Amino acid sequence: MGGEQMLRVTNVTKKFGALTAVNNLSFEVRQGQVFGIAGPNGAGKSTVYNLITGLYDFKGTISFKDQDISGLPPHRIAKLGIARTFQIPQTFPSLTVEKSIEVGSYFGSRKGFDQNHVDQVLTFVNLSDMRGAPTGSLNLLQKKMLMIGAALATRPEILMLDEPMAGSNAKEIIQLMDLIRRINQDLGITIILIEHFMKVLTELTETLLILETGTEICCGDPQKVTSDPRVIECYLGDCDD
Amino acid sequence: MDHKRITFLLALIWTIVAVLPLFFGGTNFIMHILIMCLIWSVVASCWDLIMGFAGIFSFGQVAFFVMGAYASAIISAQFSIPPIFAVFVAGGITAAIGILVGLPCLKLKGAYIALVTFAVHMILEPVLKGDIGRAMGTGGSRGLLTIEPMHIFGYTFTTASPVPYFYLMLLVAVLCSVIILVVIKSHWGTAFLALKDSQEFATCLGVSAFKYKLRVFALTSFLTGMMGGFYAHYVGMLSTRMLGIDLFVTLMVILVIGGVGKFPGAIIGAFITIAVNELLSPLGPYRPITMGAMVVILVLVLPDGIVGLFERLFSKKQHGMTH
Repeated sequence: MGGEQMLRVTNVTKKFGALTAVNNLSFEVRQGQVFGIAGPNGAGKSTVYNLITGLYDFKGTISFKDQDISGLPPHRIAKLGIARTFQIPQTFPSLTVEKSIEVGSYFGSRKGFDQNHVDQVLTFVNLSDMRGAPTGSLNLLQKKMLMIGAALATRPEILMLDEPMAGSNAKEIIQLMDLIRRINQDLGITIILIEHFMKVLTELTETLLILETGTEICCGDPQKVTSDPRVIECYLGDCDD
Repeated sequence: MDHKRITFLLALIWTIVAVLPLFFGGTNFIMHILIMCLIWSVVASCWDLIMGFAGIFSFGQVAFFVMGAYASAIISAQFSIPPIFAVFVAGGITAAIGILVGLPCLKLKGAYIALVTFAVHMILEPVLKGDIGRAMGTGGSRGLLTIEPMHIFGYTFTTASPVPYFYLMLLVAVLCSVIILVVIKSHWGTAFLALKDSQEFATCLGVSAFKYKLRVFALTSFLTGMMGGFYAHYVGMLSTRMLGIDLFVTLMVILVIGGVGKFPGAIIGAFITIAVNELLSPLGPYRPITMGAMVVILVLVLPDGIVGLFERLFSKKQHGMTH
């Protein structure tokens, strides 16, 4: 299952005042995997992303390819090869679609700016025809594609997607699932995926981590995890999936 | 607005401004106003760069201008440095202070940055008037009354004959506007806009907020401080009255009229605001009220300023041509 160890989270804790958002969490992601994270709202999933990408400080250790990245600022982590998207699509309304992709290539890529790569990314996320358009004119799906495209322009080794299916209809979900598969299989990029749709997680991921109130309650094969009584009780019990 | 249109607009503005002395060169009063327009156009453009493009609500622009003015005047007087070099040293000093002010602002957002930078503005007056200021040579409450005039290669610029200084300021303003244009259209400008729109996403794509925010503080405070120096050596006297609310409000009006984040709107805004301000002078105490009313109307009618109006008209025209 998967290749060499890529990302290791060890005994990580994050507190916001009296609230413990992430509690002594440990897991590892292997090269080439699609690693899923799920859990009810407020479980600490997005906080884990914010810790890995350096947006919050924390207790514990996070290492990427055996290099300790704890305490590094987000732009340094991006340059090392970890890219992410956000649950609420983040775009740059002052920039065009192409310029937004260029941000990732110019600032985040270890190989430096490459116009050919920007063109390839625009084609990959199906936004070539919109390259000159202001990002404010895009619909929700296109904004998600743009966010993924900008992240891909950094030439990441790990791409962390935060609820990419949120707010999407069935057709869009199929498109996004296809895109995630292509990123993983065609580009060879390891993916960490936060998602609420269990069907998406069981179809795409090889390992699934379930969180509740910042604590791991189960981690392993998605089919086994989803049938675990603790998971059903805390998460799936409220879900129709 | 794309690079070509901004370059065209800048070329048009500076060409029109360059020929104005042909019509008004004999009237020192008008030439004095035009020199002020050139100075404020650069200061307002710097403010627009940091606030409109980089999204940093810095309210310290007037303070940096006054610091640069005093620094240049004191350096040229106490160290016998020619004013043409003193203005650049003053720019360097204000850039260093700009970085010092910028450092705590990196941890802050929005209104808190405005408060910190405005605090610098508030602190400056008592510092310049007090014992520290007097020890540095600010002249305390009296200010500086005999500042060495600008001289280059033996030629001394005087207020009695303002046309040469107008062209010197025009050259400086053109160079500053080119620097600002290059910055806006370079990866610096892209980083500023990305950080303004979504700092979290921008940093996660590799943009260093620390580096680019400090750079914009350093650049804008350098150019603003340098313009303060040119102002000091032109008017020949300085006092802390410049730190009053008038200049601050004038710069704000310039930005509103030109369009925030709409370079070169600040340059157009400077000429309109200063000219209208002078034309309204017969109204006496009703002038600020009239200016205030104009600003309110302009904000409602032209929320993106004059350049925003140009953009809308141009995009409509282009849209019409494609259909």
